[in-house]
Amino acid sequence: MSQSVITPAAKPVIAKRLRGYSIKKTIVFILFGILLVTQLYPLLWLLIYSLKTNEEILSGSFFAFPAIWQWENYTNAVAGGKYWSYLSNSLLVTSITMVGVIFLSSLAAFAITRFRWKYGQAVMLVFLLGMMIPMQGTLLPLMVIFKNVGILNTHLSLILPYIAFQTPIAVFILSGFMKTIPHEIEESAIMDGAGVFRIFRSMILPVSIPPIMTVCILTFINIWNEYILAATFISSEKLKTLPFGVYSFVSQYSVNYGAIGAFLVLGALPVIVIYFLLAEKITKGMVAGAVKG
Amino acid sequence: MTRRSRMLGAVMAGVLALSLAACGSGSSNSGDTTTKPADTTTTTDNGNSNSNEKITITFQNIYPDTTDPKNKMLHKIVDQYQKDHPNITIELDSLNTDQQKLKLKTQAASKEVPDITIVNPAAQMQPFIDADLFAPLNEMIEQNGLKDTFQQGILDYYTFNGNVYALPDGNNIGVVYYNKSLFEKAGVKVPTTFEEMVDAVKQLKAKGVTPMAIGEKDSWTGSFLFMNVLLRTNGGPGFLKEVVDGKKTFEDPAFKEAVDAFESLIQAGAFQDGVTSFDYNAGENLFKTGKAAMYYMGSWATGGIETSEAGKDNNVGVFKFPTVNGKGNPDEFMLAPGSAFAVSKDSKHLKETLDFLNYFMLNYPKETFAAKGAVGIAQTVDGDFKAAGYSDMAMDVLKLFKEVKGGDLAFDNTMNPGTAQAHLSSIQNLFVAKKDASEVAKEHQTAYEENK
Amino acid sequence: MNVLKVSGWVIAAFVLPCLLLYVCLVFIPILVSIYSGMLDWNGIGASKFIGFANYTKMFTNDSVFWPALGRTFLLAGFSMLVQVPIALFVAILISRYVRRPNFLVSSYFLPVILSVVVIGQLWKTIYNPASMGGMINQILIGLGLDSLTHSWLTEPKVAIFAVILVSLWQYLGYHILIQFTGIQNIPADIYEAAKIDGADGFKADRYITLPMIVPIFKISVVLAFIGSLQSFDLIMVMTGGGPAHATDVISSHMYNMSFLSMKYGYGSAIATFLVFVCLLATVIINFLFNRLDKRYS
Repeated sequence: MSQSVITPAAKPVIAKRLRGYSIKKTIVFILFGILLVTQLYPLLWLLIYSLKTNEEILSGSFFAFPAIWQWENYTNAVAGGKYWSYLSNSLLVTSITMVGVIFLSSLAAFAITRFRWKYGQAVMLVFLLGMMIPMQGTLLPLMVIFKNVGILNTHLSLILPYIAFQTPIAVFILSGFMKTIPHEIEESAIMDGAGVFRIFRSMILPVSIPPIMTVCILTFINIWNEYILAATFISSEKLKTLPFGVYSFVSQYSVNYGAIGAFLVLGALPVIVIYFLLAEKITKGMVAGAVKG
Repeated sequence: MTRRSRMLGAVMAGVLALSLAACGSGSSNSGDTTTKPADTTTTTDNGNSNSNEKITITFQNIYPDTTDPKNKMLHKIVDQYQKDHPNITIELDSLNTDQQKLKLKTQAASKEVPDITIVNPAAQMQPFIDADLFAPLNEMIEQNGLKDTFQQGILDYYTFNGNVYALPDGNNIGVVYYNKSLFEKAGVKVPTTFEEMVDAVKQLKAKGVTPMAIGEKDSWTGSFLFMNVLLRTNGGPGFLKEVVDGKKTFEDPAFKEAVDAFESLIQAGAFQDGVTSFDYNAGENLFKTGKAAMYYMGSWATGGIETSEAGKDNNVGVFKFPTVNGKGNPDEFMLAPGSAFAVSKDSKHLKETLDFLNYFMLNYPKETFAAKGAVGIAQTVDGDFKAAGYSDMAMDVLKLFKEVKGGDLAFDNTMNPGTAQAHLSSIQNLFVAKKDASEVAKEHQTAYEENK
Repeated sequence: MNVLKVSGWVIAAFVLPCLLLYVCLVFIPILVSIYSGMLDWNGIGASKFIGFANYTKMFTNDSVFWPALGRTFLLAGFSMLVQVPIALFVAILISRYVRRPNFLVSSYFLPVILSVVVIGQLWKTIYNPASMGGMINQILIGLGLDSLTHSWLTEPKVAIFAVILVSLWQYLGYHILIQFTGIQNIPADIYEAAKIDGADGFKADRYITLPMIVPIFKISVVLAFIGSLQSFDLIMVMTGGGPAHATDVISSHMYNMSFLSMKYGYGSAIATFLVFVCLLATVIINFLFNRLDKRYS
């Protein structure tokens, strides 16, 4: 009955909407287009940059294309820059960090949001406080701690602080999500006689995959480009990570800009690839309530 | 659901295994460096460890760019040494200058100084000396006559309380490079007085040529130039020393005169637009691509300029920094003793490290000469430069070296870091705003007193 | 009401690993930093306990401190009041007009994952003087607006805004993503119901989207605030805090003091101050938003 009431009124509304729609729509899409160009331009610029010679870069006409495409910038970057070694170190450190973060923070988030427990909120607050702390401020104290524990110049000296600094936001996101899981799940599991850890592993964790993916990506992005801790705690050539390789190109009195550009492209490539592959999952993860705060 | 958790479990197990491996390889490294201290106290050794103990020496340096001749020279000497001493591994930690400074400070704070590291002369080394972090090298330089390979007096900049603590990789002077064709185009002659130089600047500017390039984002470059002006207006070297000795203050007329002269250069439009966003390399590249007519810099820039576009066909010459208001002696230069290699006092392999450094510095002149980087090293080099293919400009620079009759060190090599930072900031400010000379003098004096 | 009642041991097993690592590596260094703030220490030698002298100096005798603090808040203000609202606007437009939003949202996010080195370099060349191929000045001259050209990164009054622009540009995509997912979370039936009542298009946004997005908006604002307070890499790459401190913010000032002037004790005092400001501000923002929440619900 309501339908027959709506239909006659709908026609003029739709027609009006369609007309207004197309003008507005064009404007909006132009806006989107401009935004897209400004956001994607850096990558394009970087690619062009990496194919120029030093002189071309510095005499830089902004929109100029390189005269000859200097693919050798890439070979210089890979060879001289020990690309594969840095890449694998970065991959190693980042992936271990991600697993560590997810493991530790999901346990903590679960405990905070699902246990009957006095101190849950207090612990949450403690984590939130930590989000304010800049990593550079802890450089010197961490150095002293690591030296005394003897893990300087190992990957552990990076992995541990990386995990530690990522856990606040991971716990934040995961607990935000876990709060929304209906309690019936646990109630039925308890009635079946399942232990706490079983509940966690088989029921809560699988459901939390979307926010976990979000945490994964955020961690990856934050850690992949991290440079200061990596440069300070690692001295051995064979343990250095990717951001390092870039800065290694800047020697005392000269700069091989083209190769830096090439290295940057190679360094950004993994992040971009992974990002676009998982982009859908991130949005889904955040939509699934990760951002409910 | 169970499949997922199984996969998760597998992934975690795999990663756990990997992480154990990472920890493992890491700890085996530290295992190497904790060899028994008994080995390092044998003084009768000739550098060959009597045991087949595997020893790792960490060599922190500032030659990370593999296209830099110094890098090639470094690797060559290191590889040769490792071949001759199979039980010794030399681990290179190559960083760029700023990173290395930061890292050394952090390492010093936790007493984790690498076996060999890099420091800058005089006042920049002072904090490390005060914290007793370096081993004295007096005995080591007597070995194999290393001491005599160094130029007279250069080691003084690295000597404290009678002990030599570091060995320099270079000794440079401040000179003015100029682009001959650009000079011709504007009809400008090589200036012999500062006033002529300001005139030249105006002439060049009128012809649409950037008169001088500078990389003032790295504020030491402007400071270097300013100190040369001060060297002239003071009638000779030693101004900062007299301030430290309490005989003069920054409000001395010589200082104010220098500020005025310096500002007149800037106000005449000598430098490129946006000068404080050009770092050292960008500034130098402005000259190297022929976009600027003059470039004041230490002689270490010779190598790079020689092979650049501007330097082709002997198009770049050098001249001494001129007199200012008729004062000063052009044979007095800004002296820039190079960064130097120091040895950690707490090194676990002190003897081996000292022996290696001895070997390294002995071979340094020879290899650098061969790699065409020997203009401005701190040791005497046997060799016919011209025959070895060094350019005319390099020969000119070498000639200037022979005419040095004294000079001053840069500000940050003479004053403590707190005062130096204030000075650098003050000078950098002059590039963007005109300030009264007495204000600048007051700024300096206040900073100096605060940081004493 | 939480259902699971478990023993203390189980709670510990779940929470302790994470908490412990975190406390050890984040909190303890901060405590050490707070203590170092009370020392006269150059970072490598001996230190002297001087109580609150560093803090007094910071507030009364440091010509760089207050302007730097001002600039930090300027950056924060722009992020919170310009960047996040624009992000919200774009997010609303996307959710309304675009059928396959993922590509667009992902692309806008790109600058966030690029390293600061790339972004710094790129924008430095954009800001270059026209003679060196700087895009902005070249465009201005091309449009005949010569008088508007500036030396963007070196004129003291303009430089900080130039840097702020880059920071806003970089993280816009980040906030777009957050707001966009927040909008997606609003159940579609509410819009349907509103449409029936005649509220459509922007009217719907005013009465539905905006109120419902407040919690998400708050998160964005807090993140923007904290991020800008800690912002450091970008400034160091683009201007190093110069010229002559014209673009110094609190974190770069702290860095310069600790590592360049070798006044590590003083730098630690600045760092401690920064942490407290973050805390205070978060509490205030939280409070303001709670008031707003109450008004709307």
